Amino acid sequence: MKRVGKSAGLVVALATAGLALAACGGGTVNEAASSSAAPAESSAAPEASSSAAAPANTDCGSWGVAMHAWVGYTASAQVLSDVARESLGCDITQTTLDEAGVTYDAMEAGSVDVIIEDWGGGRWQEWVDRGAIVEVGYNGNIGLIGMYVPQWMCDEYPDITDGTKLNEYADLFKTPESGDKGAWLEGPPGYTTIGEKLIEANGLNYKIINTGSEAALIEAFTKGNDNKEAVLGYFYEPQNFLAKVPLCRINFPANDWTDAAKASGLTDYPETPLVKLATVKLMDSGSPFATLVQNFEWTNDDQNQVALDIESGMTPEEAAAKWIAANPDKVAAWLEGTGAA
Amino acid sequence: MDVKAVLRLRWVQALIVLVVWAVTATALKGIQTQELSTATNSPFTAIMRDLAASIRGNRTESFLFVYVFNPLRAVISGFIEFFMGIIAVPASGNLIPLLGWFGTLAVIGFIVYATSTLRMAFVSMFLMLLCGMLGMWLLTMETLAMTIGAVVLSLLIALPLGVWAGLNDKVMKVLRPWLDLAQVLPTLVYLAPLALVFLIGIASATIATMIYSIPICIRITALAIKSLKQGPIEAAESAGSTRWQVLTKVQLPMAKTTIILAINQTTLAALSFVVIAALIGAPGLGKPVVEALTIRDVGGGVVAGLAVVLLAVMLDRSTSAAVNRDQSGYAAADAAKVRRRIGLAIFGVLTLIAIYLSRYLLWFAVFPEQLVFGERVAEAANAVSDWITDNLGFLTVTGSEQFTIWVLNPLQDVLANSPWWLTLIAITLLAFILAGRTVGILVFVLLALVMATGLWNDTMLTLAMTLIATGFVVIIGIVLGVWAGRSARADRFLRPFLDAGQTMPAFVYLVPVLALFGPTRFAAIVLGVVYAAPVVIRIVADGIRQVPKESVEAAVSAGSTTLQVITKVQLPVSRRSILLGVNQGLIFVLAVVVIGGFVGAGGLGYLVIVGQSKPELAGKGLAAGIAIVLLGIILDRIAQGRPQKSPQGRH
Repeated sequence: MKRVGKSAGLVVALATAGLALAACGGGTVNEAASSSAAPAESSAAPEASSSAAAPANTDCGSWGVAMHAWVGYTASAQVLSDVARESLGCDITQTTLDEAGVTYDAMEAGSVDVIIEDWGGGRWQEWVDRGAIVEVGYNGNIGLIGMYVPQWMCDEYPDITDGTKLNEYADLFKTPESGDKGAWLEGPPGYTTIGEKLIEANGLNYKIINTGSEAALIEAFTKGNDNKEAVLGYFYEPQNFLAKVPLCRINFPANDWTDAAKASGLTDYPETPLVKLATVKLMDSGSPFATLVQNFEWTNDDQNQVALDIESGMTPEEAAAKWIAANPDKVAAWLEGTGAA
Repeated sequence: MDVKAVLRLRWVQALIVLVVWAVTATALKGIQTQELSTATNSPFTAIMRDLAASIRGNRTESFLFVYVFNPLRAVISGFIEFFMGIIAVPASGNLIPLLGWFGTLAVIGFIVYATSTLRMAFVSMFLMLLCGMLGMWLLTMETLAMTIGAVVLSLLIALPLGVWAGLNDKVMKVLRPWLDLAQVLPTLVYLAPLALVFLIGIASATIATMIYSIPICIRITALAIKSLKQGPIEAAESAGSTRWQVLTKVQLPMAKTTIILAINQTTLAALSFVVIAALIGAPGLGKPVVEALTIRDVGGGVVAGLAVVLLAVMLDRSTSAAVNRDQSGYAAADAAKVRRRIGLAIFGVLTLIAIYLSRYLLWFAVFPEQLVFGERVAEAANAVSDWITDNLGFLTVTGSEQFTIWVLNPLQDVLANSPWWLTLIAITLLAFILAGRTVGILVFVLLALVMATGLWNDTMLTLAMTLIATGFVVIIGIVLGVWAGRSARADRFLRPFLDAGQTMPAFVYLVPVLALFGPTRFAAIVLGVVYAAPVVIRIVADGIRQVPKESVEAAVSAGSTTLQVITKVQLPVSRRSILLGVNQGLIFVLAVVVIGGFVGAGGLGYLVIVGQSKPELAGKGLAAGIAIVLLGIILDRIAQGRPQKSPQGRH
């Protein structure tokens, strides 16, 4: 027992010394943190790309940007974060979260402040009512969700794009998973989906297969394109994948999508202007970052450029930097009213 | 034998029920299946949805939140963030946490040295260095900090409770049902309610981890105290020691080794939870694994998964080494003790130098890019996975399709696509026949509750997958378990695979399984088999090894073939272990089959996931959690069989 006691004493003494040593400041790498080196892989390192010129405004504050999994979102959020860091000197933390409810909760809890691209038609209302979240307008991207088949199917069966004829082709889409109906590959759980309503409203002989992830959809479409297999699945634009594997959209009779309550009669996905959401805390703070979020707006083409670079192997930081360097006018317009040079 | 005697045999009765059930189900296929589309709420899930909305609405106002939940959340987050700030997360505007990577590495080495051996210290440091070289240094440290924090909090609660339960049978009696429930509960289930109350983030993730690891710690600690030899305790008591003195001077020191083992098991449990906890905002290695699934990045997932395994091996080996040293430590000679103390002092000084360097020199502060080869590992993993999908894909796909058509779909037709009351009656009858009247009544009530949730059809889908996966697990478990139990060489060969299978979080193999089998129910079944088989193999092998040598030798000398020895002697004698294996297999399979919701398997697991992200379906997610628990209890009780046959149940 005595030996253990002594060892423990030694450990404590050394630990104390270590902590004292660690705590005493003066010339550590942290003081030199504004220099060039960036940490390799931190999920939370705020200064990951703070290599640019001196910030114009240092009282921007610390803010959280939600990161969603799809690459288009990554493109938008990375460009926003990097402009905020480099031109406004903001301390931006990126947090990876599922779409919708999970993220709204995180915003209410205070760990995230901005969603730069939200697809859900007003699902955030409850949080708005409680004074946690506020809509900050559209981000300029137009989202179009839909049911797609590989391009070769449209070439072979020209009228397959007419959703009302889909039942004639149900046999093509049969799998062991769908039994005697056609397989309808639905979007991931976090995404906005109305497949069940579409099938019901259009009287389709199809069975929903919940794929669980975007990975599974991409896998299925890639195979369907390469091997000329019949696949009917959920997809969306803007998405750079469509440039690599040509898909063609099935169009259902249009109807009007206004709010969640009326959406029960939906017969196709509408074109959706994508929405920016932010916490009330951010928008009331007077931070230049709030102004930047307010001003942020770009086109599907802009987003696709960055997304393409990310998908072809650049890191999101590199792809964002490339776009920012190539589009000084757009960035300058976003920075209007922030006080940045 | 006359007809009546035959009819009295239990397996004959069960067979009759099964045949009648299958025939009736086929005749009534598609009628009253209680199928409910994902977007539709049942009356019960609508109530749960409104409840969830009202809880969300009350977070800022209600007394319970303002004075209990929110402060608790702040305290737990703060506690974990304290550890994070030392080794993982730089303060705002800083480049490194309190310690740079080199200093952290040295501190880990020093702590391991102080608690076990110098050799183990170097092994641990090497394993952590590998994590850094995979490009995962900070994420590994986030996970380590979170694990340490969760383990400390778990031990604070579980050790006193465990000691108390070990000393007092009444306490154990109160705790036991909760411990049983916590072990049957699939981990995915408590995420949603926790996130509802404690929001997404570190606090929820930590509490979820604690719920998972505390029961394990309580059990081992209580057992450790209870199974002590009574001699020394009585001696101390008769010498006039107070109860407190007996506890602290005799019982605790005697039970120390087992209690360190409890710490080891708690740590591993907490670590095995990190990936699932990433779903509700746990930082660290779980995030890239979960992301890999969404954005189809097999390589990224594999690299992060490897780091989890390395960290698990490090924590397991170093804490086990602490157990071993504790067993042998007192025997060490004085000279060895002195040598060790000098060694510790030198190592300590080196650690201080390392800490200093790690704060002032960039190379020692931020893990150097030049050492990182994680990307190459990821590329290699991607290449392997692409090759497999391209070249073996048609095999796995065709195989799984045929299996789905000929086995899974027919079973699902009987269970799920038949009238609900038929399935309910049939399962209740089987429970009566196999497990007796008490269990039969219990199963009936639980099934009725499942019906009341409105998620009958989804529950039966999940049940079909669970049963098939368990079938595979039992076959694999018995074949490999007998092999390992009979031959020491086979055991040595299998052991590393079993270890890896048990420490690797299920999410890591989700991505390759998805690549091989596509978004299918079969993929979920494969997941369950991979996860549960190691446990069953272990239990069966243990059972075979415990068969008395004399019975085996007697059979061999009587001229039995190897096959006869196995089927006539070893399997029947180890019947108890095999039943235990089946029971454990079922529970393990259920826990993972629900994760199959991520790979397109549908069922209850999918509803849990969908409820997390869609507020209007939050009620379905919560109700699905309840249904999973009900299903778990049903399977557990039926698989335990008649109570008098296995009085102690599971260990």
